[in-house]
Amino acid sequence: MIRRFGMEEIIKVENLHKSFHSLPVLKGIDLKINKGEIVSVIGPSGSGKSTLLRCLNHLETADKGSISFEGNYIAKADATGKAVYKSNKEVLAICSNIGMVFQNFNLFPHKSVLENIIEAPVMVKKMPKEEAESKALGLLEKVGLLEKKDAYPYQLSGGQKQRVAIARALAMEPDIMLFDEPTSALDPELIGEVLQVIKKLAEERMTMIIVTHEMHFAREISDRVIFMDYGRIVVDGTPDDIFVNPEHPRIKTFLNKVL
Amino acid sequence: MVKSLDELVNISFYVLQGAVISIKIYVVTIIFAIPLGMLCAMGKLTKIAPLKWFLEMYTWLFRGTPLLLQLFFTYFGLPLLIGVELSREMAAYLTFIVNYGAYFTEIFRAGIQSIDKGQYEAAKALGMNYRMTMKRIIIPQAVKVILPPTGNEAVTLIKDTALVSVIALADILRNAKSVVSRTASVEGYFVAAALYLIITFIIIKIFKYIEKRFAYYD
Repeated sequence: MIRRFGMEEIIKVENLHKSFHSLPVLKGIDLKINKGEIVSVIGPSGSGKSTLLRCLNHLETADKGSISFEGNYIAKADATGKAVYKSNKEVLAICSNIGMVFQNFNLFPHKSVLENIIEAPVMVKKMPKEEAESKALGLLEKVGLLEKKDAYPYQLSGGQKQRVAIARALAMEPDIMLFDEPTSALDPELIGEVLQVIKKLAEERMTMIIVTHEMHFAREISDRVIFMDYGRIVVDGTPDDIFVNPEHPRIKTFLNKVL
Repeated sequence: MVKSLDELVNISFYVLQGAVISIKIYVVTIIFAIPLGMLCAMGKLTKIAPLKWFLEMYTWLFRGTPLLLQLFFTYFGLPLLIGVELSREMAAYLTFIVNYGAYFTEIFRAGIQSIDKGQYEAAKALGMNYRMTMKRIIIPQAVKVILPPTGNEAVTLIKDTALVSVIALADILRNAKSVVSRTASVEGYFVAAALYLIITFIIIKIFKYIEKRFAYYD
């Protein structure tokens, strides 16, 4: 798949380090994502894929390095390399342009599907309720769940929950969507419906970073595939670089195990 | 034994008069101890170390000593210690609010902490700040968890109000006791027991109703 990008940089990560209690999880990540790019991140569990994604919208706090979004620094390395964050308020404002979809959906169980979707536009963006609702209905139609607008999360299947979660993230009109293993908690027969929605977003050129174990999907949908291992990016290339001619022995071993 | 129906009615009314003070203490305690518990629970969940330490001491002290001792201390001890003399009623209100506030603090803290970390993350990823997240996402869910233990405390509280009889407040129990010694018959106790049962029955019904209203999801 050949696509053209106006090389407009949306996320830039430099020398990112992160440890959990002296256990290093990210060991110097450099990454640039351009507008309109669809990037999959693959690799063995524990390789730091999810942690990298969670650092991008400050669900995890990096120890060292810089992260910027559309040219605005969320965290900037000081002279010693330490990541110095902007104020919580500023970080939150910047990160509200970054949509996130979680492995476990994290829908608000006490709110109906429609209420889940309009919560942030109304509370954070101060959008009038009627406007938020009509937008939410449009999003529900897009993910094929219009008839579930008044249902509560407990009444939905895993696949439906995840589609609502995607609609909820899209309701903030983010400039990029992060997917953290969006199908890993789903029964096999429900994975397809979620991937279908993500594909639809890809066709609309939504910028996306997808951490996934769905290799066929990653290969089909991505402009770029990043292979991570032991907290480092081992290969950052086209799907063909990874899946057709994997030169790196670690990728070969990994693919042999999962495909 | 009581000789006539007339006498039984008189006994009942006398004990019932005591219900006024019991219910007053009950209502005042509920009205003030629940918000106090809420505030202290939020305080315990902050990162402000001195505040947390202070609240830890508070709940340890008031949950770790008998309510009766605290009541004696407020009414008889404070005048000796710092020269503050409270009326019987004020001493009872104060002791009950602070004591029950400590229990509510722990119930609310545990309830809030039981909410999944993913809820905070989802709210944060949507750009919601801490205040919004607590108010709109966490606390509404915590209420459901908190209701059953709060109902338990609410039932215990009406029975604990009987302790105020030791500082000579004319509550249900004290009036029952005095009527029993005056009539030299046991009916006063039965009337008191019936009153406590009726009140606890109503409290349980109210909490059942509230719990039902919060059971609309999962």
